Amino acid sequence: MSEIKKVKNLKEFSTSADRFEGANLLCPGCAHSIIVREVLNATNNDLILSASTGCLEVCTAVYPYTSWDASWIHIGFENGSTAVAGAETMYKALKKKGRLKQPEREPKFVSFAGDGASYDIGFQWISGCMERGHNIMHVVLDNEVYANTGGQRSSSTPIGSSATTSPAGRVSYGEKKNKKDMIAIMAAHQIPYAAQVAPNKWKDMVKKIQHGMAVDGPVFINAISPCTTEWKFDPKDTMHIADLATDSLVFPLYEIIDNHELNITYRPKNVIPVEEYLAAQGRFKHLFKDEYKYLIKEWQERVDEKWAYLNRREEARV
Amino acid sequence: MMKKGWDEFEIGAMLRTFDGKIDDIAGTLQEDRAYSENSSFVASVADWRINKPIFNKDFCIDCQFCWVYCPDISIISRDKKMIGIDMDHCKGCGICVEVCPTNPKSLLMFPEKSDEETELATWPAKNKETK
Amino acid sequence: MAFDKMELQKIEVWDGNFAAAQALRQCQIDVVAAYPITPSTPIVEGYAKFLSDNYIEGEFVMVESEHAAMSGCVGAAAAGGRVATATSSQGFALMVEVLYQASGMRLPIVLNVVNRALAAPLNVNGDHSDMYLGRDSGWIQLDAFAPQEAYDLNFIAFKVAEDHDIRLPAMVHQDGFMTSHTAQGVYTLTDDEAYGFVGEYKPMNDMLDFEHPVTHGVQTEEDWHFEHKARQHNDLMTKVFPKIQAAFDAFEKLSGRKYNIVEKYDMNDADVCVVCMGTSVETAREVATEMREKGIKAGVVGLRVIRPFPFFEIAEALKDVKAIAALDRSSPNGAPGMLFNEIAGALFNTDKRALLSGYVYGLGGRDLTKAHLVSLYTELQANVDAGKVTTQLQQFIGVRGPKLAFL
Repeated sequence: MSEIKKVKNLKEFSTSADRFEGANLLCPGCAHSIIVREVLNATNNDLILSASTGCLEVCTAVYPYTSWDASWIHIGFENGSTAVAGAETMYKALKKKGRLKQPEREPKFVSFAGDGASYDIGFQWISGCMERGHNIMHVVLDNEVYANTGGQRSSSTPIGSSATTSPAGRVSYGEKKNKKDMIAIMAAHQIPYAAQVAPNKWKDMVKKIQHGMAVDGPVFINAISPCTTEWKFDPKDTMHIADLATDSLVFPLYEIIDNHELNITYRPKNVIPVEEYLAAQGRFKHLFKDEYKYLIKEWQERVDEKWAYLNRREEARV
Repeated sequence: MMKKGWDEFEIGAMLRTFDGKIDDIAGTLQEDRAYSENSSFVASVADWRINKPIFNKDFCIDCQFCWVYCPDISIISRDKKMIGIDMDHCKGCGICVEVCPTNPKSLLMFPEKSDEETELATWPAKNKETK
Repeated sequence: MAFDKMELQKIEVWDGNFAAAQALRQCQIDVVAAYPITPSTPIVEGYAKFLSDNYIEGEFVMVESEHAAMSGCVGAAAAGGRVATATSSQGFALMVEVLYQASGMRLPIVLNVVNRALAAPLNVNGDHSDMYLGRDSGWIQLDAFAPQEAYDLNFIAFKVAEDHDIRLPAMVHQDGFMTSHTAQGVYTLTDDEAYGFVGEYKPMNDMLDFEHPVTHGVQTEEDWHFEHKARQHNDLMTKVFPKIQAAFDAFEKLSGRKYNIVEKYDMNDADVCVVCMGTSVETAREVATEMREKGIKAGVVGLRVIRPFPFFEIAEALKDVKAIAALDRSSPNGAPGMLFNEIAGALFNTDKRALLSGYVYGLGGRDLTKAHLVSLYTELQANVDAGKVTTQLQQFIGVRGPKLAFL
């Protein structure tokens, strides 16, 4: 077994040699690359990577440039998970046949995809990969919208968010459906590890990525990725918005081991009202009109309810 | 990169990150890597910037928040010390300034055309109202 | 655990599916990612059984759809090893998006396509609709007329596709049920002969070479896309046929079985001829022989290679005939048939342009009978005698109701 990289503190983490490069074409202040760096820097193992079509893919492999220092593949919108699963299968085959060029290496296989490419169009492909038990990690860069194509709703878009295909208007408060609980669905595949992470909690992220890379079998990671362009906030505020998401418990950080043991991994010292999270983003601006304020109250109730549920799950160990 | 003709590039639109062989990428710092002309590392997005960060090392405590939260791999840290900003890759988002915990801040945003020496000479003093 | 070799009889009684499964076993594929669909399912089942009985060392993944099957194949091929799969019809249609990705990324995957009709209406039987759907996808397409050829052409496919000058994926087509489920005597190669012929896989731009990281599947816009597509087309147009011919020659030396890019039958002095694909070629050959007894000098041209299209070879094969029938087993849905168009294009600028007429036949597994072919040849002779096409240019054969003809 390869050794897990020691990351005691941020200073130690900062000695990592990045395997993701600048002069990519992501928006200034984009959280995607912060998450990608935290994931890649969590290990010193070799990496085989994929990205499904989306912001990350179109901004990091536009000919004649690549921003990837490890082998990387993109096929389509829906099948990045299967692409990396195919590579993982080839690794197993060549290992068995003694044909690996560097047989001593122990690569990790990671697939990155947006929420659209994971919750919607790529759902079946990811489900197949999880069910078949490939030794891969699928990381969702969850910005709750089809950001690459200009902000259409996905099944990760939360209620009340104004997206271009569910816009707020004179008679609409925007998106009508609640966000899909993808982690529960993935955990139900009996995979060894599923977790929710956020880029502002880098240590929690690194710990979970390292746990995920150490287990044998498929791993699902859902990372919140505040989107300056579609959530409508100033690019400098990306980490502030991530803080609001985790500290309001809109985006709780937890892990599910073997589909039964649930651990809450971050308990904010001061839980802030959901209203503050919503108020900081242009996509929820219309909710502060008098006629829609009830939705903010409902938001808070939903968040409280989910938090109570997670706590019950954690306590019950089931 | 020069625009090549149809018969001049690798089939399948495949790109190589490095010229020649690299043994241990995770153990090799950027300055020691032989990037190919196809790595975005050799490209620049400096012209995206309207404002740029200036780093004042006098106040820096090397906490590395700016390093970990920089989306553009533009905070250069070596041996646990923040040593500068990669101005070819910085897009001027300003996250590094927001996450900097020192007082006064060790990183501040200025208009792209500002003169670094002038700004460092007139760096704001400690703000007593925030902790 | 080392895998076992299989002792084969010199002649085995195999249907096309089992012949293809045996060929895949003998090629020692590294990864097969597959999804079952009629009529190609027995290829995958046969392969799975070989695996269960320790005749295969590679990995075999049953995925959740044909799209995922080809996606897994692309990932595996990019990682750097021999890859193959099989499909038919609707499954092929579901794969189409990824077929273009595989060829554009220059990944030498071998896909066995057991030809079947496309819905609606749903139909499980053989026609060439799926084969035609793949014709612009940038793959090499080889066509088997019988189980023996389904076996042999798999070796040719790997040999050509994996050549570093080619690096293009290849399909091996066989007719659903008529070939895939019809058992015939198949001359075999020993495991060593077969593997010796295709050779060990030589990786190129492989993701698993950790000392040379690669980026596959980039985006190119208007400033680069055209050049990459042009390169791929250039390689299909100029490089593939010489490699196929070389592979045919080497295979003949090994097995004694001779293949040609265009298969000619009784064409030396033919006045009239049928151009077709798949199992129809064998039926047409029988009828052509019978027509000669009736005084009609009939011949047959079968396409062994559909893509790249053998433009000059087909013109050469047809240069001395007086009347040609192009038989398309896929509904052109509002146009002349593919074969009609391609042949017309190949002959248009030549001195000797025979009379060309098109026939649509056999959709959804409808039989092409010898009687159909007798009247077809008779029509061609009538065209020759009249010095012009006496029928409409496009006719449907074997469909019930009033005669259907167009153009």
